[in-house]
Amino acid sequence: MLRTLRTSLILTLALGAGLAGCGDDRDTLVVYTPHGRDMLAHFGAAFEEANPGVRIEWLDMGSQEVLDRLRSERTNPQADVWWGAPAEIFELGARDGLLEPFRPSWADQLPPEGRGEGDLWFATYLTPEVIAYNSAALTREEAPQEWDDVLDPRWRDQVLIREPLASGTMRAIFSSLIYRESEGTGNPAAGYDWLLRLDAQTKEYVLNPTLLYQKLARQEGLVTLWAMPDIEHLKATTDYPIDYVIPASGTPVVIDGIAVVRGTRHPELARAFVEFAGGETAIVTAAERFFRIPARTDIDPAHYPDWLREALEVIHPMEVDAALLREKTPEWMRYWDSNIRRRGRAEGF
Amino acid sequence: MRRSSRWLVWPVLGILLWLVLYPHLFVVGDSVWLDGRFSLEGYRTFFQSRAELEALWGSLWISAGSVVLSALLGVPLAFLFTRFDFPGRTVFGALAALPVLLPPLVGVIAFLFLYGESGIFTRTVQLVLGLERAPWRLTGGWAILLVHAYSMYVYFYLFVAAGLARLDASAGEAAESLGASRTRIFFRVTLPMLAPSLGAASVLVFMTSMASFSAPYIFGGGYRVLTTQIFTSKMNGELTMAMVETVVLASASLLFLALHRRFERGRAFAAVGKGTPAARREVKGKGARILIPLAGVGGVGFLLLPHLTLVLVSFVPEGAWTTQILPSRYTLDNYRMLFTSPQLWTPVLNSLQMATLATAGNLVFCFFAAYLIVRGRFRGKGGLLFLTMLPWALPGTVVAMALATTFSANEPWFGRLVLVGTFWILPLAYFIRNIPLVAQAAIASFRQYDPALEEAAHSLGASAITTMRRIAAPLVLPGLAAGGLLAFVGALGEFVSSILLYTYRSRPISIEILSQLRSFDFGAAAALGVVLAALMTLVFAFGGRYVRAGATGAARG
Repeated sequence: MLRTLRTSLILTLALGAGLAGCGDDRDTLVVYTPHGRDMLAHFGAAFEEANPGVRIEWLDMGSQEVLDRLRSERTNPQADVWWGAPAEIFELGARDGLLEPFRPSWADQLPPEGRGEGDLWFATYLTPEVIAYNSAALTREEAPQEWDDVLDPRWRDQVLIREPLASGTMRAIFSSLIYRESEGTGNPAAGYDWLLRLDAQTKEYVLNPTLLYQKLARQEGLVTLWAMPDIEHLKATTDYPIDYVIPASGTPVVIDGIAVVRGTRHPELARAFVEFAGGETAIVTAAERFFRIPARTDIDPAHYPDWLREALEVIHPMEVDAALLREKTPEWMRYWDSNIRRRGRAEGF
Repeated sequence: MRRSSRWLVWPVLGILLWLVLYPHLFVVGDSVWLDGRFSLEGYRTFFQSRAELEALWGSLWISAGSVVLSALLGVPLAFLFTRFDFPGRTVFGALAALPVLLPPLVGVIAFLFLYGESGIFTRTVQLVLGLERAPWRLTGGWAILLVHAYSMYVYFYLFVAAGLARLDASAGEAAESLGASRTRIFFRVTLPMLAPSLGAASVLVFMTSMASFSAPYIFGGGYRVLTTQIFTSKMNGELTMAMVETVVLASASLLFLALHRRFERGRAFAAVGKGTPAARREVKGKGARILIPLAGVGGVGFLLLPHLTLVLVSFVPEGAWTTQILPSRYTLDNYRMLFTSPQLWTPVLNSLQMATLATAGNLVFCFFAAYLIVRGRFRGKGGLLFLTMLPWALPGTVVAMALATTFSANEPWFGRLVLVGTFWILPLAYFIRNIPLVAQAAIASFRQYDPALEEAAHSLGASAITTMRRIAAPLVLPGLAAGGLLAFVGALGEFVSSILLYTYRSRPISIEILSQLRSFDFGAAAALGVVLAALMTLVFAFGGRYVRAGATGAARG
């Protein structure tokens, strides 16, 4: 028995050693990103084609996880580029000294809120948040049209919410709604009340987006709040019966960005990638194929796909104080977790 | 233990101090280090917060409940399959260990597809009873307990089965000849002799439940436990609070370990005698003849349902299965995509390689550590045991974070190397996380055989090494191998620490599954999960043979 164990051990090790040996000699650029494999495969190949002798390796993970990883790898950075996270999370990374300043040539084409302080990060895409519903069970007219409609007794126990603390999207929606309810004062009391009523409607807080889509499609709930580009992507690539409504009164728009990681081993390449990802060609491709809305304001709408032109006419960004939101969101979310989650019914809503 | 093998203490203790204790001191440090100075503010906040205390109680209750339920499920099954003989016993006995072979992430999600509100089982019940709404929702404390009992009874099952295999039948026979009834023999002879196995399994289940994250997170529905609180704090950027919660969690786990030690102390469990396991009883009596196999087979069938669900999901095109009880369309696409992708085999090979390395380390290290803990006579033995159990008291995320902090700087004088971002950090993490499991298995085996055997060998002139090779190793092997097998399949599918430590080159299977899930590819994730489960089953099937061969070898020797 021991002999068999020994043989199999040696075999495995040899196998592993053989594998580890066969790398190639191209320069490797490591990108941490939540944008998903389809998009990465596409842009990775495009970048490799434009830069012979370079190989892109990407690790696909949530934006909060990227932040965690960069923190723990601070002394031995493994990544070169951080592509994709809400501005709020980039700000945290900037505060912790995880980013390297670099100003790409397209930086001037961005609105001021899309430019990180000290040139540490820059915006690539905009993500409007919308009300999504099961389109097999509801028509567009039946679905809630406005944020406040979601609180209608009709949707009691029909609302599914993605676990808010782990999700940049949900954090943006919650904090924007708190801000909206405060009517510009930043006092969260009225917003907490609104969220308490939402909690009373909520059937379940769902672990991750994939499960959220599953549950929505299986009619465990009929309504959720979610990011518009993700639903467009879902509609285009799968059979899920899910569609969305853009609230006319205004919708939170999350700014998504890109940055060079401090301590990168390939600074030149990292900058080239940032330049590439925010460049006009890549931005238009991202809009056409991956439903990302450009943050740059200089691109001729004629290049945009139909869905985007239609959406841009309806989207009305919610007025928020971005700096206040960045500062207050952690505190508000902590309060929500301790005092609102699962307390809505108990409070009589 | 004789003087000649006393030097063993130093390497074993050294490794434990360096790899287990040292990294975790960083965690404790972070919990009391606020803005560059010492402060207990974090702890004060913790003990004044209603939500945090609720989470602490939640964790304790869930863990205690998991121990009870897992024992109720695992112990009878172990007796059934080791003590009775009936057709299909071997096959079903092996299948009963299947829950450990359910891959992470997709495994838990298979539960949802089965027993969740829109699950197959739930919708079937709804249809049969003609209900308008789903009869239940898989959420809250009891849902967590159910999932825990399902996935953790295996510890009781395997440990008790191994204990029964080592059990000397003569004690029972002696009691019988003295006129004791069967029940009396069970409670006064068999059960006390199984106490080490039961104790070890209880400790493992309690600590695993304390550190369990995905079940409370997916099924908890707002039921607070400490692991989810840690996650929440971390997500919210409150690192000190996360560390405080971690220290509280670890303390609770270690307190349970201490209680278990106190209870065990001063009891001699070792079987004196030659160690012939009891003969299996043919099932007699008409009713029992049908009932016992039926209970066994039925139980195992129930345990297999999540695996079958996973297989089913792997054949469903994305988004095609919504309100039907069973999917309406099937496809081979998920597998076709998997097997034509050149990227598939890299994670599979990575995982195999890393799990092998880690488990080989575990087997060697834990054999010696257990030897010292059971046979050693030196001061600070309790400390040694404490160190071998420490990794279990800490959630995987914390072990990973501790390693990432410790091994991120090149200060050889402080025992720190840069391992973050290299291949070696993952096997190291698997090794550390599995020390308690393998060590507990080995310790239970050492406790159960009589040291007189070693003394006899010694008095016959055998050297320390010969004694260990010819007496200790063969006798401990079945238990050690059982622990090693669990460790290996665990490492093969490990997810919680992998996610923090993997690099592009060392990405394991679980990370590939997560990546599929992230791109909303449920079918592909399930297909990969099926591949992983098949791999684990293969290992288990081969490994199981060794365990049994070892057991008979030990019985003969």
